[in-house]
Amino acid sequence: MIASVFWLVCTIAVYLLSKRLYRKYTRIYLTPLIVTPAVLLVAIALLKVPYPTYERGAGLLSDLVGPATIALAVTLYKHVKEMKRNAGAIIVSVCFGAVAAVLTTVGLSRLFGLSAPIADSLAPRSATTPIAMSISSHIGGLPTITAVATLVTGIMSMIMGPLVVKAFRIRTPLARGVLFGTSSHSSGVSKALEYDDATGSIAAIAMMVTAFVTLLAAPWVTSWL
Amino acid sequence: MKVKALFATVIQVAFFILLSKGADAIAKWLNLPIPGTILGILVLFALLELKVIKLDWIELGSKWLLAEMLLFFIPATVGIVNYKSLVVHQGVAIAIVILCSTFAVMLCSGLMGQWFSAKQRSERP
Repeated sequence: MIASVFWLVCTIAVYLLSKRLYRKYTRIYLTPLIVTPAVLLVAIALLKVPYPTYERGAGLLSDLVGPATIALAVTLYKHVKEMKRNAGAIIVSVCFGAVAAVLTTVGLSRLFGLSAPIADSLAPRSATTPIAMSISSHIGGLPTITAVATLVTGIMSMIMGPLVVKAFRIRTPLARGVLFGTSSHSSGVSKALEYDDATGSIAAIAMMVTAFVTLLAAPWVTSWL
Repeated sequence: MKVKALFATVIQVAFFILLSKGADAIAKWLNLPIPGTILGILVLFALLELKVIKLDWIELGSKWLLAEMLLFFIPATVGIVNYKSLVVHQGVAIAIVILCSTFAVMLCSGLMGQWFSAKQRSERP
């Protein structure tokens, strides 16, 4: 019991410290997204703590995933004007990207001999984490693998995205926004905001549309392939 | 003022927790093919659009939840310790799949978006 409370407090403390660290030294490998789980994994390994002990306490935080996901409705509401202006273009672009995500993931997983549950866990990883996790458990994946895969996707896209934008001369806010929002959820949105507000808004909308398209497409594509 | 804002945030977060529990229960009860959280998003969005709920009433709570969202995923991420052998044996393959697939997604959506932009520009006089 005490150990569980300790790990809850510990998780929050490491998170707050890594956020402060990132504010001071803004390097991509210092993002709390990487640092917090890494520090906790090392701590658990060194102290030989069984995961259930950790989960009993820190798992309370997982209960806030649902409420935070629903808070995305506010994001949707705030950007709905942007959506109405470009609805067709955004939806079509996102559909292409989101379906490509599921198709290429399942195809490549086959090619590399990964098992079906792993492929199903990786398939929804372009959607925002909470939604990706619930899609994953819907189609027979493992939500934890999905959570990690989604995180890895976010980190990769923060590095790769700007390179793709440059190499393929993606210039408009619409194109950049859908590129980041469709490929890499909230990490992509924060990267898109570095270009300008319009790009950020499109990315936020693209992220939400991606969640819905993935929700509809993933079960269908994974069972069909 | 600060205490007031803190208080409002706590109440609003409590509202989101209740909404989430309610949406989950309803989705399960009606056997909906979508997760409860998606139902919650749709319902809340509709209520905002219909002006049943004002943005002011829930903005602080939503801001806090979205800003700290990362914290809520940490326990799930740490759960990777349960899959040590998977990471050791297939981690590289998984990373390559994610890398290639993410690149494909960026090209598909980005080039499609670029095409639409070009089309919009040529349609405007």
